[in-house]
Amino acid sequence: MPHDVLSPEEPVVGKHVKSEQEQLVADRPSIKDWTDLRLGWWGFVRKNLDEPMPPGVGWWQTLGNLLMTLLAFQFVTGLALAMFYSPGTESAYLSVKHINEGHPVGLFVRGLHVWGSTLIVCVTVAHVLRVFFWGSYKKPRELTWVVGVMIFNVILGFSFTGYLLPWDQKAFWATTVGTRIAGTLPVVGQGLMTLIRGGEEVGALTLTRFYAIHIMVLPAALMGFTALHLYLVRRHHIAGPVVPQKGEPVKFYPNQLFKDAIVVLLGVGILAYMSLSMPPSLEAIADPTGADFAPRPEWYFLGMYELLKIMPAGWEVLATAVIPGFVTVGMLLVPWIDRAKSRHPAYRHWTIVAGTAVILMIGIMTLKGILETPPEHKAAHAAEKVSVGTPEVTPVPRLESGR
Amino acid sequence: MCEGNCENCKNQKVETDPKRRSFLSWSVGAINLAVLGGIFTPVIGFIGSPLRQKPKDDWIDVIGQDEIPVGATREVRFKAKVVDGYQTVTREYVVFLKRYPEKIVAFDPACTHLGCRILYKDDQKKYLCPCHGGVFDEDGKVVSGPPPRALTEHAVRIKDGRVFVDRRLTDAT
Ligand code: FES
Repeated sequence: MPHDVLSPEEPVVGKHVKSEQEQLVADRPSIKDWTDLRLGWWGFVRKNLDEPMPPGVGWWQTLGNLLMTLLAFQFVTGLALAMFYSPGTESAYLSVKHINEGHPVGLFVRGLHVWGSTLIVCVTVAHVLRVFFWGSYKKPRELTWVVGVMIFNVILGFSFTGYLLPWDQKAFWATTVGTRIAGTLPVVGQGLMTLIRGGEEVGALTLTRFYAIHIMVLPAALMGFTALHLYLVRRHHIAGPVVPQKGEPVKFYPNQLFKDAIVVLLGVGILAYMSLSMPPSLEAIADPTGADFAPRPEWYFLGMYELLKIMPAGWEVLATAVIPGFVTVGMLLVPWIDRAKSRHPAYRHWTIVAGTAVILMIGIMTLKGILETPPEHKAAHAAEKVSVGTPEVTPVPRLESGR
Repeated sequence: MCEGNCENCKNQKVETDPKRRSFLSWSVGAINLAVLGGIFTPVIGFIGSPLRQKPKDDWIDVIGQDEIPVGATREVRFKAKVVDGYQTVTREYVVFLKRYPEKIVAFDPACTHLGCRILYKDDQKKYLCPCHGGVFDEDGKVVSGPPPRALTEHAVRIKDGRVFVDRRLTDAT
Protein backbone atom coordinates (compact mmCIF):
# COMPACT_ATOMS: atom_id res chain seq x y z
CA MET A 1 0.00 0.00 0.00
CA PRO A 2 1.49 3.34 -0.95
CA HIS A 3 2.21 5.41 2.13
CA ASP A 4 1.73 8.83 0.71
CA VAL A 5 -1.99 8.46 0.20
CA LEU A 6 -4.32 8.67 3.13
CA SER A 7 -7.19 6.26 2.94
CA PRO A 8 -10.62 7.94 2.85
CA GLU A 9 -11.67 6.40 6.19
CA GLU A 10 -8.71 7.96 7.97
CA PRO A 11 -9.86 10.88 10.16
CA VAL A 12 -8.90 14.26 8.85
CA VAL A 13 -6.05 15.67 10.85
CA GLY A 14 -5.90 19.36 11.69
CA LYS A 15 -3.24 21.37 9.89
CA HIS A 16 -1.12 22.02 12.98
CA VAL A 17 -0.82 18.36 14.03
CA LYS A 18 1.08 16.05 11.74
CA SER A 19 -0.31 12.57 11.40
CA GLU A 20 2.07 9.64 11.78
CA GLN A 21 1.89 9.13 8.05
CA GLU A 22 2.99 12.70 7.40
CA GLN A 23 5.79 12.41 9.90
CA LEU A 24 6.98 9.23 8.24
CA VAL A 25 7.16 10.74 4.80
CA ALA A 26 8.56 14.11 5.81
CA ASP A 27 11.95 14.43 4.19
CA ARG A 28 13.56 16.19 7.07
CA PRO A 29 11.60 15.58 10.25
CA SER A 30 12.61 17.70 13.20
CA ILE A 31 14.54 15.86 15.88
CA LYS A 32 11.49 16.17 18.07
CA ASP A 33 9.25 14.55 15.45
CA TRP A 34 11.82 11.90 14.65
CA THR A 35 12.27 10.79 18.27
CA ASP A 36 8.64 11.20 19.14
CA LEU A 37 7.56 8.88 16.36
CA ARG A 38 9.92 6.23 17.65
CA LEU A 39 9.63 6.69 21.40
CA GLY A 40 6.33 8.45 21.90
CA TRP A 41 8.36 10.21 24.57
CA TRP A 42 7.13 13.79 24.25
CA GLY A 43 3.56 12.71 24.63
CA PHE A 44 4.54 11.02 27.85
CA VAL A 45 6.43 14.04 29.12
CA ARG A 46 3.62 16.39 28.11
CA LYS A 47 1.07 14.24 29.83
CA ASN A 48 3.07 14.41 33.04
CA LEU A 49 3.73 18.11 32.84
CA ASP A 50 0.05 18.77 32.14
CA GLU A 51 -1.06 16.68 35.11
CA PRO A 52 -3.97 18.58 36.67
CA MET A 53 -3.41 19.87 40.20
CA PRO A 54 -6.66 20.41 42.07
CA PRO A 55 -6.99 23.83 43.71
CA GLY A 56 -5.36 23.88 47.14
CA VAL A 57 -2.47 21.60 46.18
CA GLY A 58 0.79 23.22 47.16
CA TRP A 59 3.76 22.85 49.45
CA TRP A 60 2.54 19.69 51.16
CA GLN A 61 2.55 17.89 47.83
CA THR A 62 6.23 18.58 47.22
CA LEU A 63 7.43 15.84 49.59
CA GLY A 64 7.09 13.03 47.06
CA ASN A 65 9.32 14.80 44.61
CA LEU A 66 11.87 15.57 47.33
CA LEU A 67 11.85 11.91 48.30
CA MET A 68 12.49 10.85 44.70
CA THR A 69 15.40 13.25 44.50
CA LEU A 70 16.92 12.04 47.75
CA LEU A 71 16.55 8.42 46.64
CA ALA A 72 18.26 9.25 43.35
CA PHE A 73 21.05 10.85 45.40
CA GLN A 74 21.39 7.67 47.43
CA PHE A 75 21.68 5.69 44.23
CA VAL A 76 24.40 7.91 42.83
CA THR A 77 26.41 8.26 46.04
CA GLY A 78 25.98 4.54 46.68
CA LEU A 79 27.37 3.81 43.24
CA ALA A 80 30.43 5.93 43.96
CA LEU A 81 30.93 4.29 47.36
CA ALA A 82 30.57 0.81 45.87
CA MET A 83 33.56 1.55 43.65
CA PHE A 84 35.72 2.01 46.72
CA TYR A 85 34.10 -0.48 49.06
CA SER A 86 35.07 -4.10 49.55
CA PRO A 87 32.71 -6.37 51.50
CA GLY A 88 35.17 -8.52 53.47
CA THR A 89 35.66 -8.70 57.22
CA GLU A 90 39.10 -7.09 56.97
CA SER A 91 38.69 -5.09 53.82
CA ALA A 92 35.30 -3.55 54.59
CA TYR A 93 36.62 -1.58 57.51
CA LEU A 94 39.82 -0.62 55.71
CA SER A 95 37.99 0.43 52.58
CA VAL A 96 35.56 2.61 54.52
CA LYS A 97 38.48 4.07 56.42
CA HIS A 98 40.07 4.80 53.06
CA ILE A 99 36.87 6.43 51.85
CA ASN A 100 36.87 8.56 54.98
CA GLU A 101 40.52 9.49 54.99
CA GLY A 102 41.99 8.75 51.61
CA HIS A 103 40.28 11.42 49.59
CA PRO A 104 38.75 14.73 50.69
CA VAL A 105 35.63 14.17 48.60
CA GLY A 106 35.24 10.59 49.84
CA LEU A 107 34.19 11.69 53.29
CA PHE A 108 31.69 14.12 51.79
CA VAL A 109 30.18 11.52 49.47
CA ARG A 110 29.86 9.08 52.34
CA GLY A 111 28.33 11.87 54.40
CA LEU A 112 25.74 12.44 51.70
CA HIS A 113 24.91 8.74 51.75
CA VAL A 114 24.75 8.42 55.53
CA TRP A 115 22.79 11.63 56.17
CA GLY A 116 20.73 10.99 53.08
CA SER A 117 19.37 7.84 54.70
CA THR A 118 18.35 9.81 57.78
CA LEU A 119 16.75 12.55 55.73
CA ILE A 120 14.89 10.02 53.62
CA VAL A 121 13.36 8.45 56.70
CA CYS A 122 12.26 11.91 57.93
CA VAL A 123 10.76 12.92 54.59
CA THR A 124 9.08 9.55 54.15
CA VAL A 125 7.47 9.85 57.56
CA ALA A 126 6.25 13.37 56.74
CA HIS A 127 4.90 12.14 53.40
CA VAL A 128 3.11 9.20 55.03
CA LEU A 129 1.63 11.44 57.75
CA ARG A 130 0.33 13.93 55.19
CA VAL A 131 -1.40 11.18 53.23
CA PHE A 132 -2.75 9.66 56.43
CA PHE A 133 -4.26 12.82 57.89
CA TRP A 134 -5.62 13.96 54.54
CA GLY A 135 -7.22 10.55 54.06
CA SER A 136 -5.77 10.49 50.56
CA TYR A 137 -5.68 6.69 50.63
CA LYS A 138 -9.41 6.46 50.15
CA LYS A 139 -11.03 4.96 47.08
CA PRO A 140 -9.66 4.64 44.41
CA ARG A 141 -6.18 5.23 45.81
CA GLU A 142 -5.95 2.26 48.20
CA LEU A 143 -3.23 0.52 46.24
CA THR A 144 -1.17 3.68 45.89
CA TRP A 145 -1.05 3.71 49.71
CA VAL A 146 -0.25 -0.01 49.95
CA VAL A 147 2.65 0.33 47.52
CA GLY A 148 3.79 3.39 49.50
CA VAL A 149 3.90 1.33 52.70
CA MET A 150 5.97 -1.29 50.87
CA ILE A 151 8.40 1.45 49.80
CA PHE A 152 8.64 2.59 53.42
CA ASN A 153 9.60 -0.92 54.49
CA VAL A 154 12.16 -1.24 51.70
CA ILE A 155 13.70 2.01 52.93
CA LEU A 156 13.99 0.60 56.46
CA GLY A 157 15.57 -2.53 54.95
CA PHE A 158 18.16 -0.35 53.24
CA SER A 159 18.99 1.23 56.54
CA PHE A 160 19.29 -2.07 58.39
CA THR A 161 21.55 -3.70 55.80
CA GLY A 162 23.60 -0.57 55.16
CA TYR A 163 24.36 -0.13 58.83
CA LEU A 164 26.54 -3.27 58.90
CA LEU A 165 28.67 -2.44 55.89
CA PRO A 166 31.39 -0.29 57.57
CA TRP A 167 32.09 -3.29 59.85
CA ASP A 168 32.96 -1.17 62.84
CA GLN A 169 31.87 -1.79 66.41
CA LYS A 170 28.58 0.04 65.99
CA ALA A 171 27.80 -1.91 62.84
CA PHE A 172 28.75 -5.30 64.20
CA TRP A 173 26.88 -5.06 67.47
CA ALA A 174 23.75 -3.46 66.07
CA THR A 175 23.57 -6.30 63.56
CA THR A 176 24.29 -8.97 66.16
CA VAL A 177 21.37 -7.71 68.22
CA GLY A 178 19.23 -6.89 65.20
CA THR A 179 19.52 -10.36 63.70
CA ARG A 180 18.91 -11.93 67.10
CA ILE A 181 15.52 -10.25 66.90
CA ALA A 182 14.67 -12.62 64.05
CA GLY A 183 15.81 -15.42 66.34
CA THR A 184 13.12 -14.59 68.88
CA LEU A 185 10.35 -15.66 66.52
CA PRO A 186 8.75 -18.92 67.58
CA VAL A 187 9.59 -22.11 65.62
CA VAL A 188 11.27 -20.56 62.58
CA GLY A 189 13.35 -18.03 64.55
CA GLN A 190 16.67 -19.86 64.79
CA GLY A 191 16.60 -20.98 61.17
CA LEU A 192 15.68 -17.52 60.00
CA MET A 193 18.53 -16.01 61.97
CA THR A 194 21.04 -18.47 60.49
CA LEU A 195 19.66 -17.73 57.04
CA ILE A 196 19.96 -13.97 57.49
CA ARG A 197 23.44 -14.23 58.97
CA GLY A 198 24.63 -16.80 56.45
CA GLY A 199 25.89 -18.86 59.38
CA GLU A 200 25.60 -19.09 63.11
CA GLU A 201 27.55 -15.98 63.89
CA VAL A 202 27.71 -12.56 62.32
CA GLY A 203 30.73 -12.93 60.04
CA ALA A 204 32.08 -12.80 56.52
CA LEU A 205 28.94 -14.27 54.95
CA THR A 206 26.68 -11.88 56.84
CA LEU A 207 28.57 -9.04 55.28
CA THR A 208 28.37 -10.39 51.72
CA ARG A 209 24.70 -11.19 52.20
CA PHE A 210 23.84 -7.75 53.50
CA TYR A 211 25.89 -6.17 50.74
CA ALA A 212 24.10 -8.15 48.02
CA ILE A 213 20.73 -7.27 49.51
CA HIS A 214 21.70 -3.63 49.93
CA ILE A 215 22.96 -3.08 46.40
CA MET A 216 20.84 -5.52 44.37
CA VAL A 217 17.70 -6.84 46.01
CA LEU A 218 16.49 -3.64 47.65
CA PRO A 219 17.28 -1.26 44.77
CA ALA A 220 15.41 -3.55 42.38
CA ALA A 221 12.46 -3.70 44.76
CA LEU A 222 12.56 0.04 45.32
CA MET A 223 12.58 0.80 41.61
CA GLY A 224 9.72 -1.54 40.91
CA PHE A 225 7.57 -0.21 43.75
CA THR A 226 8.41 3.40 42.94
CA ALA A 227 7.48 2.96 39.28
CA LEU A 228 4.19 1.38 40.33
CA HIS A 229 3.56 4.12 42.90
CA LEU A 230 4.13 6.89 40.34
CA TYR A 231 2.01 5.12 37.76
CA LEU A 232 -0.83 4.89 40.28
CA VAL A 233 -0.43 8.51 41.36
CA ARG A 234 -0.71 9.59 37.74
CA ARG A 235 -3.53 7.21 36.99
CA HIS A 236 -5.74 8.51 39.81
CA HIS A 237 -4.31 12.03 39.93
CA ILE A 238 -3.53 13.88 43.14
CA ALA A 239 -6.28 13.72 45.74
CA GLY A 240 -6.12 17.39 46.64
CA PRO A 241 -7.26 19.03 49.87
CA VAL A 242 -9.70 17.32 52.20
CA VAL A 243 -12.34 19.94 51.55
CA PRO A 244 -12.49 20.68 47.83
CA GLN A 245 -11.51 24.29 47.28
CA LYS A 246 -12.89 26.83 44.88
CA GLY A 247 -11.12 27.38 41.64
CA GLU A 248 -9.85 25.54 38.61
CA PRO A 249 -7.23 22.82 38.56
CA VAL A 250 -3.83 24.07 37.44
CA LYS A 251 -1.31 22.21 35.32
CA PHE A 252 1.62 20.67 37.16
CA TYR A 253 4.05 22.63 35.01
CA PRO A 254 5.19 25.25 35.81
CA ASN A 255 3.49 26.29 39.09
CA GLN A 256 3.72 23.12 41.16
CA LEU A 257 7.01 22.07 39.61
CA PHE A 258 8.47 25.39 40.76
CA LYS A 259 7.38 24.71 44.35
CA ASP A 260 8.84 21.20 44.04
CA ALA A 261 12.13 22.64 42.83
CA ILE A 262 12.34 25.06 45.78
CA VAL A 263 11.75 22.27 48.28
CA VAL A 264 14.24 19.98 46.51
CA LEU A 265 16.82 22.75 46.62
CA LEU A 266 16.17 23.25 50.32
CA GLY A 267 16.35 19.50 51.06
CA VAL A 268 19.55 19.00 49.12
CA GLY A 269 21.00 22.11 50.78
CA ILE A 270 20.26 20.69 54.22
CA LEU A 271 21.78 17.37 53.17
CA ALA A 272 24.96 19.03 51.93
CA TYR A 273 25.20 21.14 55.07
CA MET A 274 24.81 18.11 57.34
CA SER A 275 27.39 16.12 55.37
CA LEU A 276 29.91 18.93 55.60
CA SER A 277 29.36 19.91 59.19
CA MET A 278 28.88 16.43 60.66
CA PRO A 279 31.07 14.01 58.69
CA PRO A 280 30.12 10.39 59.31
CA SER A 281 32.13 8.65 61.97
CA LEU A 282 33.87 5.32 61.91
CA GLU A 283 34.43 3.58 65.18
CA ALA A 284 37.00 0.91 66.01
CA ILE A 285 36.91 -2.21 63.85
CA ALA A 286 34.32 -4.81 64.81
CA ASP A 287 35.42 -6.83 67.82
CA PRO A 288 33.16 -9.74 68.74
CA THR A 289 34.74 -10.03 72.20
CA GLY A 290 34.92 -6.33 72.92
CA ALA A 291 33.23 -5.50 76.19
CA ASP A 292 33.49 -1.76 76.00
CA PHE A 293 30.69 -1.29 73.55
CA ALA A 294 26.99 -0.91 74.20
CA PRO A 295 25.17 -1.60 70.97
CA ARG A 296 22.62 0.89 69.75
CA PRO A 297 20.75 0.76 66.49
CA GLU A 298 20.27 3.64 64.05
CA TRP A 299 18.10 6.32 65.67
CA TYR A 300 14.90 5.40 63.87
CA PHE A 301 15.00 1.89 65.28
CA LEU A 302 15.49 3.24 68.80
CA GLY A 303 11.75 3.13 69.47
CA MET A 304 11.78 -0.63 69.07
CA TYR A 305 14.96 -0.84 71.13
CA GLU A 306 13.26 1.01 74.00
CA LEU A 307 10.16 -1.12 73.66
CA LEU A 308 12.36 -4.18 74.19
CA LYS A 309 13.60 -2.79 77.49
CA ILE A 310 10.14 -2.63 79.00
CA MET A 311 9.03 -6.09 77.90
CA PRO A 312 8.88 -8.64 80.71
CA ALA A 313 11.15 -11.66 80.44
CA GLY A 314 10.00 -14.14 77.85
CA TRP A 315 7.77 -11.64 76.10
CA GLU A 316 10.39 -10.08 73.88
CA VAL A 317 8.64 -11.47 70.82
CA LEU A 318 5.90 -8.93 71.55
CA ALA A 319 8.32 -6.10 70.94
CA THR A 320 10.31 -7.74 68.17
CA ALA A 321 7.55 -9.17 66.02
CA VAL A 322 4.00 -8.83 67.30
CA ILE A 323 3.76 -5.07 67.83
CA PRO A 324 5.83 -4.07 64.75
CA GLY A 325 3.88 -6.66 62.77
CA PHE A 326 0.58 -5.20 63.94
CA VAL A 327 1.67 -1.68 63.06
CA THR A 328 2.82 -2.74 59.59
CA VAL A 329 -0.28 -4.79 58.81
CA GLY A 330 -2.43 -2.04 60.29
CA MET A 331 -0.77 0.46 57.99
CA LEU A 332 -1.31 -1.76 54.97
CA LEU A 333 -4.98 -2.19 55.82
CA VAL A 334 -5.75 1.42 56.75
CA PRO A 335 -7.76 2.08 53.56
CA TRP A 336 -10.10 -0.79 54.47
CA ILE A 337 -10.15 -0.23 58.23
CA ASP A 338 -11.20 3.38 57.78
CA ARG A 339 -14.76 2.98 56.51
CA ALA A 340 -15.77 6.63 56.75
CA LYS A 341 -17.05 8.07 53.49
CA SER A 342 -15.47 11.44 54.12
CA ARG A 343 -11.77 12.16 53.93
CA HIS A 344 -12.14 14.90 56.53
CA PRO A 345 -10.34 14.07 59.82
CA ALA A 346 -13.39 15.21 61.79
CA TYR A 347 -15.40 12.35 60.30
CA ARG A 348 -12.71 9.75 60.83
CA HIS A 349 -12.46 9.87 64.65
CA TRP A 350 -11.32 6.33 65.29
CA THR A 351 -8.75 6.16 62.54
CA ILE A 352 -7.30 9.49 63.57
CA VAL A 353 -7.27 8.60 67.28
CA ALA A 354 -5.68 5.18 66.69
CA GLY A 355 -3.17 6.59 64.22
CA THR A 356 -2.22 9.42 66.53
CA ALA A 357 -1.79 7.00 69.43
CA VAL A 358 0.59 4.82 67.41
CA ILE A 359 2.51 7.84 66.16
CA LEU A 360 2.82 9.23 69.71
CA MET A 361 3.94 5.85 71.04
CA ILE A 362 6.65 5.51 68.40
CA GLY A 363 7.63 9.16 68.86
CA ILE A 364 7.92 8.97 72.64
CA MET A 365 9.83 5.68 72.55
CA THR A 366 12.22 7.04 69.93
CA LEU A 367 12.76 10.24 71.89
CA LYS A 368 13.39 8.24 75.04
CA GLY A 369 15.99 6.20 73.17
CA ILE A 370 17.66 9.28 71.79
CA LEU A 371 17.83 11.02 75.17
CA GLU A 372 19.32 7.97 76.88
CA THR A 373 23.01 8.69 77.29
CA PRO A 374 25.15 5.89 75.93
CA PRO A 375 28.49 7.21 77.29
CA GLU A 376 27.46 6.03 80.77
CA HIS A 377 27.61 2.46 79.56
CA LYS A 378 31.05 2.97 78.19
CA ALA A 379 32.35 4.43 81.43
CA ALA A 380 30.81 1.62 83.41
CA HIS A 381 32.36 -0.93 81.11
CA ALA A 382 35.78 0.59 81.28
CA ALA A 383 35.69 0.54 85.07
CA GLU A 384 34.59 -3.05 85.27
CA LYS A 385 37.12 -4.27 82.83
CA VAL A 386 39.81 -3.42 85.34
CA SER A 387 38.12 -5.13 88.24
CA VAL A 388 37.76 -8.42 86.40
CA GLY A 389 40.99 -10.18 85.69
CA THR A 390 41.31 -11.20 82.06
CA PRO A 391 43.87 -13.92 81.78
CA GLU A 392 44.63 -14.45 78.17
CA VAL A 393 45.45 -17.90 77.02
CA THR A 394 47.28 -18.39 73.76
CA PRO A 395 48.31 -20.22 71.66
CA VAL A 396 45.64 -22.80 71.31
CA PRO A 397 46.33 -26.45 71.91
CA ARG A 398 43.37 -28.56 70.90
CA LEU A 399 41.81 -31.59 72.40
CA GLU A 400 40.60 -34.05 69.82
CA SER A 401 36.89 -33.82 69.62
CA GLY A 402 35.30 -37.13 70.32
CA ARG A 403 31.85 -37.90 71.45
CA MET B 1 2.61 4.33 17.82
CA CYS B 2 0.51 1.47 16.49
CA GLU B 3 -2.95 1.79 17.91
CA GLY B 4 -4.26 -1.45 16.55
CA ASN B 5 -4.82 -0.11 13.05
CA CYS B 6 -1.64 -1.19 11.28
CA GLU B 7 -1.67 -3.83 8.57
CA ASN B 8 -0.39 -6.57 10.84
CA CYS B 9 -2.92 -5.85 13.56
CA LYS B 10 -5.84 -5.70 11.18
CA ASN B 11 -5.06 -8.91 9.34
CA GLN B 12 -4.13 -11.14 12.23
CA LYS B 13 -5.78 -14.51 12.73
CA VAL B 14 -6.77 -16.12 16.00
CA GLU B 15 -6.21 -19.77 16.90
CA THR B 16 -9.78 -21.04 16.88
CA ASP B 17 -9.37 -24.77 17.49
CA PRO B 18 -10.18 -24.95 21.22
CA LYS B 19 -8.17 -28.13 21.78
CA ARG B 20 -5.08 -26.77 20.15
CA ARG B 21 -5.57 -23.46 21.90
CA SER B 22 -5.72 -24.98 25.36
CA PHE B 23 -2.81 -27.31 24.59
CA LEU B 24 -0.69 -24.35 23.59
CA SER B 25 -1.58 -22.26 26.61
CA TRP B 26 -1.00 -25.11 29.07
CA SER B 27 2.34 -25.81 27.43
CA VAL B 28 3.39 -22.19 27.80
CA GLY B 29 2.48 -22.34 31.48
CA ALA B 30 4.35 -25.59 32.04
CA ILE B 31 7.45 -24.41 30.20
CA ASN B 32 7.49 -21.16 32.17
CA LEU B 33 7.22 -23.06 35.44
CA ALA B 34 10.07 -25.35 34.41
CA VAL B 35 12.24 -22.38 33.48
CA LEU B 36 11.47 -20.61 36.77
CA GLY B 37 12.19 -23.80 38.68
CA GLY B 38 15.43 -24.20 36.76
CA ILE B 39 16.58 -20.78 37.89
CA PHE B 40 15.30 -20.69 41.42
CA THR B 41 15.95 -24.22 42.67
CA PRO B 42 19.73 -23.95 42.61
CA VAL B 43 19.70 -20.30 43.67
CA ILE B 44 17.49 -20.89 46.69
CA GLY B 45 19.42 -24.04 47.55
CA PHE B 46 22.64 -22.05 47.49
CA ILE B 47 21.29 -19.13 49.51
CA GLY B 48 19.85 -21.53 52.07
CA SER B 49 22.99 -23.69 52.36
CA PRO B 50 24.04 -22.22 55.73
CA LEU B 51 20.95 -23.85 57.21
CA ARG B 52 22.32 -27.30 56.51
CA GLN B 53 25.66 -26.80 58.24
CA LYS B 54 25.73 -28.68 61.50
CA PRO B 55 27.89 -27.22 64.21
CA LYS B 56 30.80 -29.48 65.20
CA ASP B 57 32.35 -29.47 68.63
CA ASP B 58 35.74 -27.85 68.92
CA TRP B 59 37.58 -28.28 72.22
CA ILE B 60 40.03 -25.64 73.24
CA ASP B 61 42.44 -25.56 76.13
CA VAL B 62 41.75 -22.26 77.83
CA ILE B 63 43.28 -22.26 81.30
CA GLY B 64 44.77 -24.41 84.04
CA GLN B 65 42.28 -25.72 86.56
CA ASP B 66 44.22 -24.34 89.52
CA GLU B 67 44.22 -20.83 88.12
CA ILE B 68 40.65 -20.42 89.27
CA PRO B 69 40.02 -20.67 93.02
CA VAL B 70 36.92 -22.58 94.06
CA GLY B 71 33.92 -20.24 94.07
CA ALA B 72 35.55 -17.68 91.83
CA THR B 73 34.49 -16.48 88.39
CA ARG B 74 37.05 -15.62 85.74
CA GLU B 75 36.68 -13.94 82.38
CA VAL B 76 38.83 -15.98 80.03
CA ARG B 77 39.71 -15.00 76.50
CA PHE B 78 40.90 -17.53 73.99
CA LYS B 79 41.61 -17.62 70.33
CA ALA B 80 40.43 -20.26 67.93
CA LYS B 81 40.76 -20.83 64.24
CA VAL B 82 37.29 -20.84 62.75
CA VAL B 83 35.95 -21.18 59.27
CA ASP B 84 34.13 -17.95 58.49
CA GLY B 85 32.48 -18.37 55.12
CA TYR B 86 35.21 -18.36 52.49
CA GLN B 87 38.07 -17.83 54.95
CA THR B 88 39.64 -19.33 58.03
CA VAL B 89 40.28 -16.70 60.63
CA THR B 90 41.59 -16.59 64.13
CA ARG B 91 38.78 -15.32 66.21
CA GLU B 92 38.82 -14.31 69.80
CA TYR B 93 36.25 -15.67 72.19
CA VAL B 94 35.34 -14.97 75.77
CA VAL B 95 33.80 -17.25 78.36
CA PHE B 96 33.15 -16.76 82.04
CA LEU B 97 34.42 -19.75 83.99
CA LYS B 98 32.89 -20.39 87.38
CA ARG B 99 34.56 -22.98 89.54
CA TYR B 100 32.32 -24.98 91.82
CA PRO B 101 33.77 -27.51 94.26
CA GLU B 102 32.96 -30.40 91.94
CA LYS B 103 32.89 -28.85 88.47
CA ILE B 104 33.65 -25.88 86.27
CA VAL B 105 30.95 -24.16 84.26
CA ALA B 106 31.59 -21.95 81.22
CA PHE B 107 29.05 -19.22 80.56
CA ASP B 108 28.76 -17.61 77.16
CA PRO B 109 29.06 -13.82 77.31
CA ALA B 110 26.08 -13.25 75.01
CA CYS B 111 23.02 -12.08 76.91
CA THR B 112 20.16 -14.50 76.39
CA HIS B 113 17.88 -11.61 75.59
CA LEU B 114 19.28 -10.26 72.34
CA GLY B 115 22.92 -11.16 72.48
CA CYS B 116 24.66 -8.11 73.89
CA ARG B 117 27.97 -8.72 75.57
CA ILE B 118 27.44 -9.08 79.32
CA LEU B 119 29.91 -8.01 82.02
CA TYR B 120 30.74 -9.64 85.30
CA LYS B 121 30.79 -7.43 88.37
CA ASP B 122 32.99 -9.17 90.87
CA ASP B 123 31.93 -7.08 93.87
CA GLN B 124 28.23 -7.79 93.32
CA LYS B 125 28.76 -11.31 91.99
CA LYS B 126 26.43 -10.46 89.14
CA TYR B 127 26.43 -10.24 85.37
CA LEU B 128 25.07 -7.03 83.90
CA CYS B 129 23.85 -6.52 80.37
CA PRO B 130 24.31 -2.99 79.00
CA CYS B 131 21.55 -3.19 76.43
CA HIS B 132 18.21 -3.55 78.15
CA GLY B 133 19.33 -3.91 81.73
CA GLY B 134 19.35 -7.69 82.13
CA VAL B 135 20.99 -8.99 85.34
CA PHE B 136 22.19 -12.56 86.03
CA ASP B 137 23.60 -14.00 89.23
CA GLU B 138 26.97 -15.75 89.40
CA ASP B 139 25.31 -19.08 88.58
CA GLY B 140 23.93 -17.60 85.38
CA LYS B 141 20.32 -17.38 86.58
CA VAL B 142 18.24 -14.37 85.63
CA VAL B 143 17.86 -11.93 88.50
CA SER B 144 15.99 -9.17 86.72
CA GLY B 145 15.33 -7.57 83.37
CA PRO B 146 14.11 -8.95 80.09
CA PRO B 147 16.36 -12.00 79.50
CA PRO B 148 14.07 -15.01 79.11
CA ARG B 149 16.42 -17.66 80.48
CA ALA B 150 19.68 -18.35 82.28
CA LEU B 151 23.03 -17.77 80.59
CA THR B 152 23.96 -20.26 77.91
CA GLU B 153 26.74 -22.67 78.79
CA HIS B 154 29.60 -24.13 76.85
CA ALA B 155 30.49 -27.75 77.47
CA VAL B 156 33.59 -28.12 79.66
CA ARG B 157 36.02 -31.01 80.05
CA ILE B 158 38.92 -31.27 82.40
CA LYS B 159 41.93 -33.26 81.35
CA ASP B 160 45.33 -33.38 83.10
CA GLY B 161 44.51 -30.30 85.15
CA ARG B 162 43.65 -28.20 82.07
CA VAL B 163 40.22 -26.80 81.33
CA PHE B 164 38.93 -27.46 77.82
CA VAL B 165 35.93 -25.53 76.55
CA ASP B 166 33.80 -26.44 73.57
CA ARG B 167 33.81 -23.34 71.43
CA ARG B 168 30.35 -24.21 70.15
CA LEU B 169 27.39 -23.61 72.37
CA THR B 170 25.64 -26.59 73.82
CA ASP B 171 22.11 -27.09 72.60
CA ALA B 172 20.71 -26.21 75.99
CA THR B 173 19.12 -23.09 74.50
S1 FES C 1 20.39 -7.99 75.27
FE1 FES C 1 20.76 -8.13 77.36
S2 FES C 1 19.03 -7.29 78.23
FE2 FES C 1 18.61 -7.18 76.08
